[in-house]
Amino acid sequence: MLVHTLKRNKLAIFIGLFPALVIYLGIAIIPIGLSFYYSIMDWNGIGDMKVVGMDNYIRILSDDTFWLSVQNNVMIMITGLIGQLPLGLIMALLLNKGLRGSGFFRTVGFMPVVISSVMVSLIWGMVYNTEYGMLNGILSFLGLDSWRQNWLGDAKWSMLSISVAYIWQNCGLYMVIFLAALQNIPEEVNEAAELDGATGWRRTIHVTIPMLRNTIMVAVVYSISNSFRVFDLIQVLTGGGPAHQTEVMTIYMYNSAFMNLRYGYGSAVSILILLFSLVVISVINRLGREKDA
Amino acid sequence: MKKKSPLFQIFAYTFLSLFAIMNIIPIFWMVVNSFKEEQEYAADPFSFPETLNFSNYSKAWDIANMDTYFLNSLIITFVSLIVTVLLGALAAYFLARFTFRLRGFIYGLFLLGMLVPIHATLIPIFLIMQKMSLIDTYLSLILPYTAFHLSLTVFILEGFMRGFPKDLEESGVMDGAGIFRIFWSIILPITRPAMATVVILNFIYNWNEYLFALVLITSNSLKTLPLGLANFVGVETASYTLQMSALTIALIPILIFYLLLQKQLVTGMTAGAVKG
Repeated sequence: MLVHTLKRNKLAIFIGLFPALVIYLGIAIIPIGLSFYYSIMDWNGIGDMKVVGMDNYIRILSDDTFWLSVQNNVMIMITGLIGQLPLGLIMALLLNKGLRGSGFFRTVGFMPVVISSVMVSLIWGMVYNTEYGMLNGILSFLGLDSWRQNWLGDAKWSMLSISVAYIWQNCGLYMVIFLAALQNIPEEVNEAAELDGATGWRRTIHVTIPMLRNTIMVAVVYSISNSFRVFDLIQVLTGGGPAHQTEVMTIYMYNSAFMNLRYGYGSAVSILILLFSLVVISVINRLGREKDA
Repeated sequence: MKKKSPLFQIFAYTFLSLFAIMNIIPIFWMVVNSFKEEQEYAADPFSFPETLNFSNYSKAWDIANMDTYFLNSLIITFVSLIVTVLLGALAAYFLARFTFRLRGFIYGLFLLGMLVPIHATLIPIFLIMQKMSLIDTYLSLILPYTAFHLSLTVFILEGFMRGFPKDLEESGVMDGAGIFRIFWSIILPITRPAMATVVILNFIYNWNEYLFALVLITSNSLKTLPLGLANFVGVETASYTLQMSALTIALIPILIFYLLLQKQLVTGMTAGAVKG
């Protein structure tokens, strides 16, 4: 491309890539390796580091609180999948019909995605407030006083309450992902379907949705990997309480490392999170591909 | 577009409206109550305020140190953003417009970052920052924010720059401009549309970030807006209306930002999610 001498190019390429690479490798990539390294150590951050091999992993895997957090992650994953995706898909299908006011609904639908998780948590914290919260207020207004709950403090409801806030926050993202895919379906496909007599619901189910297969797969994978990353929302809403009932793996990791100052143990948890999410995603990918065949 | 049956329209608008109400109501309810006296709110969280009571706002602004948090967030967000976009654009330029050994490898390396979950690096980053005595400094946030957003930045800019015709740089070379000169005066200006997307994305991600701030910042005077707000609400539990005012103050700029730049935000964040 450029006709400079090779040597000058090499130097320039090096100068151009070096600063970005140093920051990127030093802070985003090398620490993953360090996490592996710390995960076989026992260290409180001050004293000497002690090699303990697989001890941290063994202790984590025999801790009931950890398994409770795994269970809560599964809960978030499943409610996310069955809440966000169908809702986002239906919204996208409706918005794709060219109805009047679609722009408004899209704007409002995507709004929670732009707001920070902290803000979303704080707003929902007020909605769920036992005494003065919006939800209990509405229930009282409807004469359903017996339905009032301590939404975040009662272990029966707390994970479900968090899931609702989580769906509220992310649904709009899937809506626009599906909408973009719908708008990419060539007009001829719809016309051909119409000639074959496929209209309305039939066309949506037999023609449109199969066309979205790939996008749906991407959304499923993204939704799953996102569910393993949940932290802010729960940390701010409940901090993992009451009594670990809403703890997810990231919170468990945060508490081990930064509350109990067990950096080795915490690192091992972070590696396990990485492992779990990779396993789940590769299983999903395989299932998706098998169906293709 | 052919006419939709009335039944379908009723169904569609009912569904869309319910969804919209679900999205708006919590925020609307919060904003309305932020204007009330505390007793007024406690008596009836659903009435409209008798008078628009702005004193909550000035009180919240003062007590919550909102000015400090806003300033910190602005500084950290913009410095990270500028560094990320400049370094990312430079890297993207060499990856897109030059051929050299390792090009594919380095490009792949940058893409890898989009798959890295932040929490898997959190503890080592904390320990590194501690070792370099950077805990509780702007730099401790600017570095990770830059590092973690370089991937998406390089990905978007490289894709855009690669599309330029091959002879684009030739006029520059004829004029005797060096490689960096060509980057600055020829490539960068025509990359502007992609730069806009990248800037907006970096802005929103940095502005909203919480986990790194939580771990790397401890002193009140350095807290960013999300961290400061979470903290304020945790401490100021006595006055809900005050909390609501503080949240509304923090919400307004981001809503304006969203309404103004909606198109880029929607396409950018969608691309970020799908590629990530």
